[in-house]
Amino acid sequence: MRIVIGAGSCGIAAGAGKVHNAIESLMTENEVFTLGSTGCIGMCFLEPIVDLYDGKTLVRRLVKVRASDAENIVNAARTGDLSLVDSITISADDEEFLTRQTRIALRHCGLIDPVSLEDYRAADGYEALEKVLKTMTPEEVIEEIKVSGLAGRGGAGFPTWFKWNAARQSVSDTKYLICNADEGDPGAFMDRAVIESDPHTLIEGMLIGAYAIGAKEMIVYVRAEYPLAITHLEIAIEQAKKAKLLGENILGTSFSCNMRIKAGAGAFVCGEETALIESLEGKRGMPRLKPPFPAQKGYMDEPSNINNVETFANVAWIMNNGGAAFAAMGTENSKGTKVFALTGKIRKGGLVEIPMGKTLRDVIYGIGGGIRDDKEFKAVQMGGPSGGCIPKELLDTVIDYKALGATGAIMGSGGMVVMDESTCMVGMAKFFLDFTALESCGKCVHCRIGTRRMQEILTRIVKGEGKEGDIELLEELCDAVKDGALCGLGQTAPNPVLTTIRYFRDEYEAHIKDKKCPAKECADLLTYSIVADKCKGCTLCAKKCPAKAISGEVKNAHIIDTDKCIRCSMCINTCRFGAIITE
Amino acid sequence: MEQIKITVNGIEMTGNKGDTILNIAAKNGVEIPNLCYSPNLRLYGACGLCLIEAEGMPKLMRACSAVANDGMVLSTETERVKKARKIALELIMSDHEGDCVAPCSLNCPAHTDIQGYLKQIALGNDSEAVRIIKEKISIPASIGRVCPHPCESNCRRRLVEEPLSIAFLKAFAADRDLESDAPFKAVCEAATGKKVAVIGGGPAGLNAAYYLCLSGHDVTIYDAMPEMGGMLRYGIPEYRLPKDVLRKEIKAIADLGVKMVNNTKIGKDISFDEIRNSADAVLVTVGAWKGSSVGCKGEDLDGVLSGIDFLREVNMGNIPDIGKNVAVVGGGNTAMDACRTAVRCGAENVYVIYRRTRAEAPAEDIEIEEAIEEGVQFLFLTNPDEIVGENGKVKEVRLQIMELGEPDASGRRKPVPVEGEFRTLSVDTVISAIGQKCAPAGLEAIELTNRGTILADATTCMTNLDGVFAAGDATNKGASIAIDAIAEANTAAKAINAYLLGMPMDFPEPYYSQRKVTAEMLADREKKARAVMPVKAPEYRKNNFESVINGFSEEQAREEAKRCLECGCHDFKDCKLIRYANEMPISPERLSGAKHECYKEQRLVSIERDQGKCILCNLCVRTCKKNAGKGILGLVGRGFRTVIKPEFDNPDTVAVCKDCHMCADLCPTGALKILG
Repeated sequence: MRIVIGAGSCGIAAGAGKVHNAIESLMTENEVFTLGSTGCIGMCFLEPIVDLYDGKTLVRRLVKVRASDAENIVNAARTGDLSLVDSITISADDEEFLTRQTRIALRHCGLIDPVSLEDYRAADGYEALEKVLKTMTPEEVIEEIKVSGLAGRGGAGFPTWFKWNAARQSVSDTKYLICNADEGDPGAFMDRAVIESDPHTLIEGMLIGAYAIGAKEMIVYVRAEYPLAITHLEIAIEQAKKAKLLGENILGTSFSCNMRIKAGAGAFVCGEETALIESLEGKRGMPRLKPPFPAQKGYMDEPSNINNVETFANVAWIMNNGGAAFAAMGTENSKGTKVFALTGKIRKGGLVEIPMGKTLRDVIYGIGGGIRDDKEFKAVQMGGPSGGCIPKELLDTVIDYKALGATGAIMGSGGMVVMDESTCMVGMAKFFLDFTALESCGKCVHCRIGTRRMQEILTRIVKGEGKEGDIELLEELCDAVKDGALCGLGQTAPNPVLTTIRYFRDEYEAHIKDKKCPAKECADLLTYSIVADKCKGCTLCAKKCPAKAISGEVKNAHIIDTDKCIRCSMCINTCRFGAIITE
Repeated sequence: MEQIKITVNGIEMTGNKGDTILNIAAKNGVEIPNLCYSPNLRLYGACGLCLIEAEGMPKLMRACSAVANDGMVLSTETERVKKARKIALELIMSDHEGDCVAPCSLNCPAHTDIQGYLKQIALGNDSEAVRIIKEKISIPASIGRVCPHPCESNCRRRLVEEPLSIAFLKAFAADRDLESDAPFKAVCEAATGKKVAVIGGGPAGLNAAYYLCLSGHDVTIYDAMPEMGGMLRYGIPEYRLPKDVLRKEIKAIADLGVKMVNNTKIGKDISFDEIRNSADAVLVTVGAWKGSSVGCKGEDLDGVLSGIDFLREVNMGNIPDIGKNVAVVGGGNTAMDACRTAVRCGAENVYVIYRRTRAEAPAEDIEIEEAIEEGVQFLFLTNPDEIVGENGKVKEVRLQIMELGEPDASGRRKPVPVEGEFRTLSVDTVISAIGQKCAPAGLEAIELTNRGTILADATTCMTNLDGVFAAGDATNKGASIAIDAIAEANTAAKAINAYLLGMPMDFPEPYYSQRKVTAEMLADREKKARAVMPVKAPEYRKNNFESVINGFSEEQAREEAKRCLECGCHDFKDCKLIRYANEMPISPERLSGAKHECYKEQRLVSIERDQGKCILCNLCVRTCKKNAGKGILGLVGRGFRTVIKPEFDNPDTVAVCKDCHMCADLCPTGALKILG
């Protein structure tokens, strides 16, 4: 028997380390079972996850495991009596979270030991590279990618073969292949999962790309906030070097290529490819004017190709299975699968990889299990700060670059933040504008000042200080910033504002005209009061109130002095009788 | 080099293949606005002003970086492009505090370049100072003496200690110029053959005539009085404005070629139609010559005069018999002129009756002060209730005692009677100086406002009659200070010039960036007291009409001028940003929000950097990198808070500065100033 603990960042955060230690401490010198770890399987809502394997067969998946479960797990592994862990075994319903998915980019995640080259090779690893290097020309590789229809998964959705071909066509002795692992969208974490859980897939995909464009050096630009990903990738690079999969004469061919990691300092704009290049060169991360495109003049002014982690994670699969197999999935203009990071007010949050062409409802209700706490679905934010929100009426929108674009949102990198009825859409737009205004690099006027002005207008609206004409002014600014900003950050920053105005204009109007927040989220617009019939006069709220705004006699209904009330909700959280309401 | 053809705004142009749209357009004489572009530096693309539209392209393009393709059809002036440029400018301006023009100039109705002429006075170039003044004021020696100087009330030096003595410095420079061997004389443009008639030779008429004459028009001023000068000649007392000074300035205008016809009253000596037929344009600047009556019982008695009439008579040399006891009603400058003139006419007891207190009195404080020195008795919080006569002649005036109540619409506390409290004053003469009205005679064809003044367009000064313009005290809001009349006359002159030359009479208010400055921001300035104007002793001056002021000594004037803080931007005339901001109507205030902090710093060798003016165009950073060979300056911080500082905020990098000044030369605003 083999015990395998999911030890990705999410598993560790949920307590996988403690479970590991507890199990390890119970192990004897000649233990009958082994203990190992794997990466993230993507079921964040069930972490920590422990898998029991008999040989290569998964016999039990244990979820929400605690250190106190260690004894039962160990006994089960020793005796084979799996009934000992029945209480923590995954439910059939939750199993569907995985069985409803189609995994290509995430195909090894949570199934292999990320820092074991043997594991990766046992799962067909580096077979695609060998095939490519020994049987295909670079042009054939690019053609296969073209057949697959693979498009950049980082956000822009540009055809991958086109970029590779452009870099291939650029004449230079020195070319670079760069992986953008600066995953900066709030709510997106698929790239982290891939690197942490399956680093060799990235190396293999990149090597195939480097061969295709003629690069001899590969750089992974990864955010420094992903220490586990960096560690795993460093280990994988060392392993690959030793196995002659990196360096001179890879796999005995004439192809030579090196790889290094550059840790980024956490600027969102460095996810923009030209800003990323500036940062790689040691300069301040600011976008460059395009043209020239990186394929012509990129890193160190040499032809460079930049793809996102998820894009590369598909490459080896495509080479193994053929571009046509990839293209068989999806819709007419969007091929293959896409990974989504499902978060927010969703029952089952985690990583979801599905073929293009499914609907948002399939993801949110079919896989995600719907909204938490039986609340009403309100909207889903697609594509992070660059994307837009999609309302309930459009839940049957097909996942496809074009169809999502038509809603005002974008596919983006795959962040899906689900919101329920208690989310204020103006507040949501403000949240993203706070982010983009802060993360603007400060170079172009439209983004530097425009996003700031939009943020200021949104701030005054949620404070109840919005003015007649503010919505129109926001719309005007949005259009101007979209038109005038230099890079993708600024050009897409207005999307959350535009889509919330488009689908939830009445909420904006309620804030501005009636000084009310329909979702009851904007504290400045709420009035707290005590329902006399429900109040038992227990005095607890009055004691807890930091503003001393609540008064009343014992066993008599209390009242709130709204002038003193600072709307901190302490009273609501304290009251056991549900007597305090907001309007 | 291979050539390509593109079309910009319908103009076909050729350029080198591979060149940018902006460059090709520039070489063909079409300027595409830009603030962050320099032909010799790396492209940056930040300002967004060069956005243009290309046929068949859904997105706007940056002309600075977009390489032109053969056959491109481009527009730089479509609605979409203009809207994009407008909002880009508004965004830039919403975070730019430039102080384009100093507050003194902004608050001078004529927007005289005060900072400019003070600098010249400080340097000892009085003639050059007068040249600058005469861009706006044709009679500076006179105006310098009489102007209530709104400039000084807004002089920023008041936040340090006291405002500059701007008006007297102007008079100083103008006096020196008049006395010099070669007084400043402007050069008229070639004759246009157009004739302009000006009705009324007061400050407005004189000033308009001067600028119309400079523009090459044939100008004639008609005036009812024996001499030109209007209220300056017949309203202002000699002791404030010696008439010789005024005559010299009027002569200079006549010497320029302005014809002057005196003793000619419209409707009596010549008809309005006759004047209209004789000229291509007419400017009516007849002033407000009718004094308002006291408005109480007994106002028709013998011995009740209007201040205006009294002052005019004295200025004509006819000193009226006003007796020993004189009451002047009013608290404005005309009341002060009247009471102090009454003292000089030999009255023993001169009272000023004013219904509010000294604090509310519209008169200049120095005027009240000097009147008190000359023995005038101020009866504040009194109001004439009845003028009592004997044999049809004034005997006494009964005064209602007043107190201050609630503030009125003007913000001043409203005087209200204290019931039953009166005081009686024995007087021989009551002079009413509570306001002036316009009484245009012989101009019946011109439409009036409901207050009886001439209705003139606020922008063009044109009346209801085509080609007939009006300015000064006679128009719209009525009587005001001389510099207001001069400012209006300047507008009228500009409009008449445009009218005569068939050009559009469209004069949009210029857009200026303004800075809010507090005393704390000027706390480091060295304190230096305002120059005190030497005046004649009260005992001496009250017996004659000699000028009260003796004028500044040269040393005093130069030192005083050096007190100027030079608030206005040094780069105003060359500033690209303000030029663009004035090429289209913009309203940055609708996008107002947080701004960068305004501070000045000197971190490069001889460059002062003004953060409030920086628009982050990055030209300084790039040119510095190019010239010094390495990064000295860089952007620091992110988002809205980004600023230009030594690269990576490392002060050591500044040591490499070669003092080449290229950064300041390229700065499109006045953010970088070369010191010394």
